[in-house]
Amino acid sequence: MSDTANKTLLRGKRILIAKPGLDGHDIGAKIIALALRDAGAEVIYTGLRKTPRYIARVAVDEDVDAVGLSMLSGSHRELVAETIEELRAADAADIPVFVGGTIPAEDHAYLRQLGVAGIFTSEMRLDDVVAELARALG
Amino acid sequence: MAEQGKAINRRALGRALSRIADASVEEALAGLVEPPARSARRIGITGPPGAGKSTLISGLARRRLDRGRSLGIVAIDPTSPFSHGAILGDRIRMEEIGDDPRLFIRSLASRGAHDGLADNIPDILLTMDAHGFDEVVLETVGVGQAEYGVRLLVDTVVLVLIPESGDQIQAMKAGVLETADIYVVNKADLPGARKIAAELRGVLKIRRRLGATWEPPVILASAQDGEGVGALDEAVERHLEWLASTREPSELRRARARYHLQSLFARRIAEILESVPEILDGSSLAAGYRAALDHLGRRAETGNGRRETSF
Repeated sequence: MSDTANKTLLRGKRILIAKPGLDGHDIGAKIIALALRDAGAEVIYTGLRKTPRYIARVAVDEDVDAVGLSMLSGSHRELVAETIEELRAADAADIPVFVGGTIPAEDHAYLRQLGVAGIFTSEMRLDDVVAELARALG
Repeated sequence: MAEQGKAINRRALGRALSRIADASVEEALAGLVEPPARSARRIGITGPPGAGKSTLISGLARRRLDRGRSLGIVAIDPTSPFSHGAILGDRIRMEEIGDDPRLFIRSLASRGAHDGLADNIPDILLTMDAHGFDEVVLETVGVGQAEYGVRLLVDTVVLVLIPESGDQIQAMKAGVLETADIYVVNKADLPGARKIAAELRGVLKIRRRLGATWEPPVILASAQDGEGVGALDEAVERHLEWLASTREPSELRRARARYHLQSLFARRIAEILESVPEILDGSSLAAGYRAALDHLGRRAETGNGRRETSF
């Protein structure tokens, strides 16, 4: 799936891929999960339709290095804000949140202002997503 | 008893488990968790991939929580030998219990461990003990040829099979098949379930003749619709009671210490082979073996001199 240069970029990282909200499509989330695995990450996937509180709890229990929210529903503004708030309430404000999916360009500034560490739109190449994530996580 | 009944400090426990899972052998030794006075009762769930272990655990966990117990679940999935990455998906099948405040689920990748468990798993279980859980469920990767670790590390071993496991029964006769405490034939609505159960009972009859006093039950279950889960819960309870009345604690400590030491040695050897690859270029395997032994000794000495305060 990804080329050999990507193979160890995320080695040792634990990443939660979560699907908040009501949309029922997780093929994108699964493709990302596999790409991250192929780059060496240990990926925890929540399954569909999870609440922000549940996602924050899993992030804490699993002590992940990053949370990736996969969103297609259009309600990303509220759900991202709530997830970041729940992480803060769980003493886990230090876990960076990334957002991927169909996110209109006009919402990017708002999401970044909420504290989102990176936005991956569905047009991005998987290798670029992996490389940017690796850079962000050091 | 000190921590019993207290709310779980999820952030602290989550972080502690990462530190321990990531620790090198030296770091693991320096930060060794002493066995606490009171340890959680440990239930190991093993069986081939696809047998429905996670779904069964979800149902069992619900029953254990209903008995008023706090519960930790440690679920292990395989690490890819190519990328060293892993998909840890066991908790997807446990979501119906996911909100209970007395429950803590941790997913682990097997990493370097080749026995169906994960690196530093003895220390991970001791850490769960220290956080005051009443019971801890350990889900293995699946039955490997050498999966004896789970037998040593937990109190009750549950082996989960499915009707398609017929050939595996043959392959496993000398392994965990003979040593499990409870047998579950899952997906019992599939054809062949009763035949598997009968074969199992046959194998176990031989074991009984050898003088074992615990009679391992064979439970037909369908974890999807909850059939057999109550019987499993009852069987676990009976087995834990039986253990409390028969087991010699000092023997158990020795067996667990042996596994702990063996796994530390196995990991140390792997570390040496990775950091000193020249060992593998030697003239003969015997020479390589002696060179590795030499490194093992040297590293142990420096290790004693430079104890780290934390890891």
